Amino acid sequence: MKKILPIAFLGAAALIFPVSVKTIFLDTPIENQMGTVQKIFYFHVPLAWIMMLLAVVCGVAAGIQLRRDSKRAEAVSIAAAELVLVTGLGVLITGPIWGHATWGKAWTWDARQVSTGLLWLIFAAYVLVRHYGAAGSERLAAALAIFGAIDVPVIYYAVKIWKTTHPSNDVAGSLPASMWAALWPALIALLLTSMALLLIRVQQELTDVTLDEAWVDLDDAGATKPNPAPGPTPATGDA
Amino acid sequence: MAAPAQTPPSDEYEPVKNLDQQTIACVRACESEAAAKTASDYEHIVWAYGVIWSLFAIYGVMLWRRGSRQAIEVADLQRRLST
Repeated sequence: MKKILPIAFLGAAALIFPVSVKTIFLDTPIENQMGTVQKIFYFHVPLAWIMMLLAVVCGVAAGIQLRRDSKRAEAVSIAAAELVLVTGLGVLITGPIWGHATWGKAWTWDARQVSTGLLWLIFAAYVLVRHYGAAGSERLAAALAIFGAIDVPVIYYAVKIWKTTHPSNDVAGSLPASMWAALWPALIALLLTSMALLLIRVQQELTDVTLDEAWVDLDDAGATKPNPAPGPTPATGDA
Repeated sequence: MAAPAQTPPSDEYEPVKNLDQQTIACVRACESEAAAKTASDYEHIVWAYGVIWSLFAIYGVMLWRRGSRQAIEVADLQRRLST
């Protein structure tokens, strides 16, 4: 089941993705003011939603990890943080590409852009602390993840609180049915891909913990652990 | 009522009729501008789409490499346990 679910998600995403492309480029009308470039909306916005969802998941899992010292929550937190970096980078690149075409400027330092950039930096710090931090640094990393999750409402309400070049949050709600029909497949394809990668990464993190414990047991039994493969090893609670 | 007779499509080029040179130039400029905007828009879309799926692909490859390393470590551990 642990292996089948990510494969099923990736398979479903591979089936939905061509439908999404066809709907976006062939079936959806061209937006009146922005023209063809508005079609970036159909994957920029779902990716931003997924990024915010994963940031909240990471923050909640980090909170559970701090409170209950749960290895599973810790694994979810690490996996979600890495995916926040992936999806966040996608948002931070596709947004300026869209801005360049519509506003004439890729980066306008508006509140939503800055708060999204800040979110990405917080989770980059989290991942760096997890990879290179000393023993005990997982608690500091968890605090960073909680801090990052608090940035999510700031991103959402940035367009309401401050004067920004970003469209308001009501845009998605006021979309005509033909545009929603293009948004749904894109959202589902990206969500399924993200969830599949999340599940795979969680499983790998749990395997890492199990392997570490197995090597320690073997050491106690008199054998020696060989040099690990090159690459950063995430700090674990019992490191 | 009989249907109006339709002129069969011609293979020859037809000259523009009933339009002065200024209007023709204006129409051509508008068409050219619209075509340039659409081409630029598609270029931006291809870049944006490419970036997203490249990022997912790169992360997927990283996970696959990590999984391969783990499989080697598990095999090593099993070998040591069996000896």
